[in-house]
Formats: sequence, structure tokens, C-alpha cells
Amino acid sequence: MSFALRKQGDVVVVDVEGQLIVGNRQELKQKVLDELERGEKKFLIDFSQTGYIDSSGLGVLVSLSKKIREQGGELRLANLNDDLKTLFELTKLDTLFQIADTRERALESF
Amino acid sequence: MTDLQTVLSAFRDATGCAAAVWAEDDGRLPSRLAASTPAVGVLGWTPPFDVGPPHAVDSPGGPAIVTAIQGPRRCWLVIGPSSEPAAPLENYLRFLLPVVSQYLQSALEVEHAANELAERYEEINLLYTITEILGRTVALGEAASTILKEVSETVGARRGSILVHDRVTDTLQTVAVLGVPALEVPPIALTDECSVSAHVFRDQRAMVVAEDDADPCPAEAFYRRGTMLSVPIMWTSPGGGAEPLGVVNLSDRASGQAFSAGDQKLVTAIATQIGTAIQNSRLVRASLSQQRLVQELELAHDLQMKLLPRTEIVDPVAQVAARVVPAESVGGDFYNLFQLGDERTGVMIGDVSSHGYRAALIMALAMSASAIHAQGSNDPGRMLGALLGTLREELATTEMFISTFYAVIDKRAGMIRYANAGHPHAYHVSGDGTCERLPALDPPLGMVESAQSARTRPWVSGTDLLLLFTDGVSDARDLFGRRFGEQPIVDTVRRMHAEPPYTILQQVFAQLSDHTGTAVQRDDLAVVLVRS
Repeated sequence: MSFALRKQGDVVVVDVEGQLIVGNRQELKQKVLDELERGEKKFLIDFSQTGYIDSSGLGVLVSLSKKIREQGGELRLANLNDDLKTLFELTKLDTLFQIADTRERALESF
Repeated sequence: MTDLQTVLSAFRDATGCAAAVWAEDDGRLPSRLAASTPAVGVLGWTPPFDVGPPHAVDSPGGPAIVTAIQGPRRCWLVIGPSSEPAAPLENYLRFLLPVVSQYLQSALEVEHAANELAERYEEINLLYTITEILGRTVALGEAASTILKEVSETVGARRGSILVHDRVTDTLQTVAVLGVPALEVPPIALTDECSVSAHVFRDQRAMVVAEDDADPCPAEAFYRRGTMLSVPIMWTSPGGGAEPLGVVNLSDRASGQAFSAGDQKLVTAIATQIGTAIQNSRLVRASLSQQRLVQELELAHDLQMKLLPRTEIVDPVAQVAARVVPAESVGGDFYNLFQLGDERTGVMIGDVSSHGYRAALIMALAMSASAIHAQGSNDPGRMLGALLGTLREELATTEMFISTFYAVIDKRAGMIRYANAGHPHAYHVSGDGTCERLPALDPPLGMVESAQSARTRPWVSGTDLLLLFTDGVSDARDLFGRRFGEQPIVDTVRRMHAEPPYTILQQVFAQLSDHTGTAVQRDDLAVVLVRS
């Protein structure tokens, strides 16, 4: 379980490897907030290597989305696998986020 | 000295010459240690004592010879008077002096051995006494003064102290002191460079400090007089690592002598026992604290379970089976049931994000607020909207949210109307076993500000089932990390849909238990089944 942050153009891309759960959600939150504090505005979280997100993981995504919006920034999600897509649909979270099928499409959408 | 007496008497019997041994004790005038009997002609006579060579003296009974006996003790051998006027007193002296000297030497060695044995006995007795004192108590404070008194008596110290390290202030605190009221002694900082105790604690090595070895630190001046023996109190963990816990100081020895290696060894043994007692006392305190915490957690669990309604409250309009199993002692999953009149039943399930105490507090708030709002509005959408209004601030400040489903089953009208805020696992099971998901109509409460929508669908009274469960059930893992999933639950309920809700619930949990085995429960579990 780890989070890799890298810059692609003016977008901060975060890769979530493994799971986003109660045990590591704060680490993700802090890393993204640190970047926001440094003045970054565009964020993309890529779930291509993510197997599972629990309810607290979803909560941190919503919290980050709000904080980024408050600073005039944007958050996009990409590469949700079928299970995660279903989770977002079942919980109606798909209405709260801009979700792209691939990283490239997400980057183009900024 | 009866043996010596016997020897001297035998000598007199054989030679007719009297013999006596005189000895000086503690600087007092010499007294007769042993003499041949009967002491004819010498009773009441004290010979002149000299350290020089043998010399002739006149006793009341006749001539005699006095000579000093070589050895650590100041003793003299007196030969004479004799019943024979021309007795060879010098020859008698040459014969008897080595015998008496050897006897006195042996007697002295025996005496030393006896003293040594007595000291060892005293030390063993001290160790037993301290073991008994420590065995009777779990708090060192009560026993420390008695221990210090016993140790001081054994090594002849008139002043002393037992100091214990306080981890919070990083100082050595006095728990017992001898020779001065304890209240007067201030604590010693571990960084204090002039303190012998702090030095011994840091170095974890005993020290004997002479009186003139630098100025004593003010705190130690209370109990430091003359030479001071300072020994660290150590505790060795089962893993083998040694840790200093405090210091034992002893000073002002009555004999004025320095502390010996034997004293240091003895006090080190006592300090080890004190260390074990301190550690035991800490472990007992920690264990009691843990026990209290467990009791409080059990109480919190019982209280939370009592917040959940009994399923009988909606009888006979609806038959409900429900169970909540928190992952920790308390959790964030809940259900609620409302008898709304006119054969209408309100059914709610909720999952507060995360689990543990924070989730439990939000859950309790949601339980009480939903009970009020359910009676205030017959529309599930408006009810969840009102609930969000109550919880909004709390959810925002805690960054938590609630996925919740609320339905009103109207038995008489044959309708079910529901609102679903981000709750993924809600199913309408028809009489033919068809399972249809009642999807989320809005995101979970706390994620958006939007109003809550609601939908209505037909409901066949006495046949249809409402199945609700939380993601803790579908996400439950076995020992290999494999998810239980939604499908086994849906299949079971579909297969058993005609059975009473409680029977179905039992089967669902039995299946879940078969799947998870001994794996740790990671999330709260809640399942609700309703027939109306």
C-alpha cells in the first residue's frame, strides 16, 4: 500500500497502489493537502493499481474534493476497475466526481 | 575456654606447677582467660605484664615466669608457682608456650568464622525479610521505608534513601528516607552533574563515595554523611535487557568504616528485589487500568446495543429480524424501526464511515434524530433530508458521512416508499424469489447538500421481503483475504424467502461465519430482514 505522486504538466498525479482504507487514508490526504498547500491546483488520482476502497477511503476522497474546490482547484479520478465503478455507482458517488476511463482522458479534461 | 583450662590443669597435675593465661580485652586491664585448678597460691594476684622477653616474678605462692604470647591478641602465659621449689620453670615454659599459642590461634580462627557465619546469616535473614515485605504488598511506597530500615540496620548505616525514577519529570523521586523527614528531600534531575545518585543511575553501576569527594548535591546532603554507598535499582526484562529504575543510598555508618565489597554485593541483591517490586507494581497498575478500560468498552458496547430497537416493537404489522455486530466494542452500523400507525412501518439501516468511538457517537446521534424525524414526516426523502439537517455540522466537522437507506412499508396500501443515500445493499425480494436492488438515489449523507429523493413501488403484504445489509458483510474476508461478496447473501435470501425472517438471518450469519472462519473482523456488520 503506497501512494506515488508525480507531476505531469501542471497536474499532480497520484497512483494508489493496493487499497485505500481506514489504515492509510490519512497518508493520502496529507500528501495531497501538502501539494495543495504548495499551490498546486490540478489533481488526478489514478486507481489502475487499486483493488479496494472502503467507506473511509471514499470519505477521504470526498473530503479532498471539497478542500481542492475551496482552493479553486479540481480533482479528477481515473482507471476505476469494475468493482470500484460499481461501488461509485451504487453509492451515487459517481455524481460527485469527474471520473475518466483512462489517465490520458482525465489529463485532457483539465 | 574450658578446653584450655583442661590443658592447663593437666599440665599442673603432671608437673605440680600452676599455669595461667591472661588476656587484654578492648584496652581494659588483662583478666585471667584460663588457669590450672586449683589456683593454689595465686588467687587475687595479678602478675606484672610486659611485652618483653620472659621474666621471673614473685607470686604469693612462690616464683613464677611471665611471658607475652605472640599473636593478634594481647595475651600472657604465667608459669608457676610450683609445688617443687626447684622446678625448671623455663623448661615448662618452652613446653607449654607453643601449645597455648596454637590453641589461642585456633580459637581466634573459630571466633572469626563464627562472626562471618553470623554476618551471612544476618544477610540471608535480611533477604528473607525483604522478600516477605515485598510479597505482602504491590505498592513499593508502603514497603520502601521498612526495606530501607532493614538494609540500613544490617550494614550499620544511619542514613539512607530509596529513589525511584519518575518517567514524566525525568527525575529521581524520594520514596523512602532514613535520618531525615521525607518531606524535606527534593527530587534530583537525572542531568544533575553533582548528584551521585543521578551518576549511578546513568552509569548503571554502584559507587562508594568518600566524604571529601566533591561537594554533595543539595538534595543528597540530607542523607549523605561520611562515606556513601550508592547502588542502582535494576530490572532485567525476560528478554535480557537491563533497565535502571532507581537508586539505593546508604551512609553515616555507625562503625565509621568504609563500605566493603560484601556490603555492595548485599545492597545490589536487595536493589534487584526492589527493582522487581517496582516493575511488578507498574505492571499491576497497567493491568488494572487495562481491566478498567475493557470494562468500559464492554459497557459502551452494551449501551450501544441497547440503543438498537427490539424487533418486536413493530409486531404484528411487520416481522423483523436484525443483527448488528461491531468490529470493535462499539461501531457505526445501525438499524432503526418505527411503528408509524395505519399499518405503516419505518425501516432504516445506516453505516457511519469508519468504526470505533467516533462512528459510535455519530451513530447514537443518527439513531435519536431519526426517531424524531420519522414521526415528523411520512416521506422517506424528507425524513433523510431532516436527518441530514440535524447531522450536517457534526458530519462536516468530523469529516464523516453516513450511507443510509430508509423505507416506509405501507401494508394496507401495498406500497413501499424508500430513500437511499449512498447505501449499496438494499433489496426487494418478491414472492417468486426475485431480488431487485433498490439503488442509491443520492450520495451518502454528509457528502452533498442536495435534497433527498424517494421512490415508490408496489409491495405484496405478507410475502415480499426487504433485505438490507452493510458493506461490512459483503466485504468480510476469509483467512486468505477473499471477500464474502453480495451474491451468497442474495442467493440465500432468494432460496429461503418464504421462511421467517429470523431463520433467514440465522442462515446468513452461519454462512458468513463459515467464510470468515478465524479471520479478524475488519468492519461492523449489520443485516435487517423485514416482512410486512
